[in-house]
Amino acid sequence: MSTEQISTNVISTQSASTKHISVKRYLPDNSTETYWQEYDLPVDDSTSLLDALNHIKEQLDSTLSYRWSCRMAICGSCGVMVNGIPKLGCKTFLRDYEGDIRIEPLAHFPVQRDLVVDMEIFLEHLAAVKPYLIDDNPVKPYDPNAPETYQQTPEQLERYKQFANCINCGLCYSACPQFGLNPEFLGPAALTLAHRYNLDSRDNGKKQRMAELNRHDGVWSCTFVGFCSKVCPKHVDPAAAVNQGKVEAAKHTLIALFKG
Amino acid sequence: MNKSTSQRLPPLKRNWWLKHRFFKLYMLREATVLPLVFFILCFLAGMVALLQGAESWQGWIAFMGSPIVLLLNLLALAASLFHAATFFVLFPRVMPLRIAGHSLPDKAIVAGQWAGVVAVALLFFWLLGRGGV
Ligand code: SF4
Ligand code: FES
Repeated sequence: MSTEQISTNVISTQSASTKHISVKRYLPDNSTETYWQEYDLPVDDSTSLLDALNHIKEQLDSTLSYRWSCRMAICGSCGVMVNGIPKLGCKTFLRDYEGDIRIEPLAHFPVQRDLVVDMEIFLEHLAAVKPYLIDDNPVKPYDPNAPETYQQTPEQLERYKQFANCINCGLCYSACPQFGLNPEFLGPAALTLAHRYNLDSRDNGKKQRMAELNRHDGVWSCTFVGFCSKVCPKHVDPAAAVNQGKVEAAKHTLIALFKG
Repeated sequence: MNKSTSQRLPPLKRNWWLKHRFFKLYMLREATVLPLVFFILCFLAGMVALLQGAESWQGWIAFMGSPIVLLLNLLALAASLFHAATFFVLFPRVMPLRIAGHSLPDKAIVAGQWAGVVAVALLFFWLLGRGGV
């Protein structure tokens, strides 16, 4: 966290300049139509998009709905589209934008209200890959007086560490055209999480996960567009994980073939 | 978990890839297959001509020498180099190579692949040169 700037500010009143942002509004209680609403905001060099939304909510228009919590790129709840690209509101700074700033809810998810989307399907896909350590054959029965710890060397940790940094923000799903074309596709983050556990030296669940991974809506729906890895705020590189998953799935099929 | 409970959006329209520069580049990468198909067809025709005898072989040589065919095959060469360039960068991400517990740097893998291309090309030219003598 130390090198990355985070959103902490209340926008000061003597800020340097004003910026214009447009927000796509959807208020299902009033109308089924969406519309664009314009806001002018005071900004300075440290104003994040989340600061801007908070400013709108508190000073200009309390009807605006959006999600946020940690304001430091950890909780993964503040994802929105900024000029058509999925971004975390708290990690996006208005100083980086000249001209138009158009804010929309995350693409490829049903919108509930304004910038709030329904992420249920994403959570279902995550759960489908059994994203937890599975150990069917513990070395010894558990003895509470002398508990066996799962040991792991730094090298073993290194194999999956990058893929364990996911914060479940869903930006990669909004970036993925294959998920947009087919919502049953398990998608980048879920397949990455599956791969993360498959790579874990403490895990024995690869066989169970392969049933989900090695099918059309699993790894084989990915065509390596690669945009998911571009937009990921935690540098997880889901595209790499999914395509390593293809190699594993192919091996799995071959081995099954020879075993008859 | 009951899969039918969560909402689904209608699928994207066919023109989804026109919306963003990144997607256009992706489609360009995918489209490199088209000139390559042309090259493969030329190649197969050459094989058939070779089997049919001297006359049709000469016909094929003439066909390959025509400017439009030359141009299309040059395009195929450029397309395959472009595809190779994009693919080689992706390769170490899909197949991270490890030697003695340490992962090889991506740059080394990319350089290795280009070295392979150069080696195959040199071998090819050498064979061609020998055939000519
Ligand atoms: S892989 Fe990256 S973009 Fe996708 S949910 Fe995880 S943190 Fe977000
Ligand atoms: S508010 Fe938590 S990730 Fe942005």
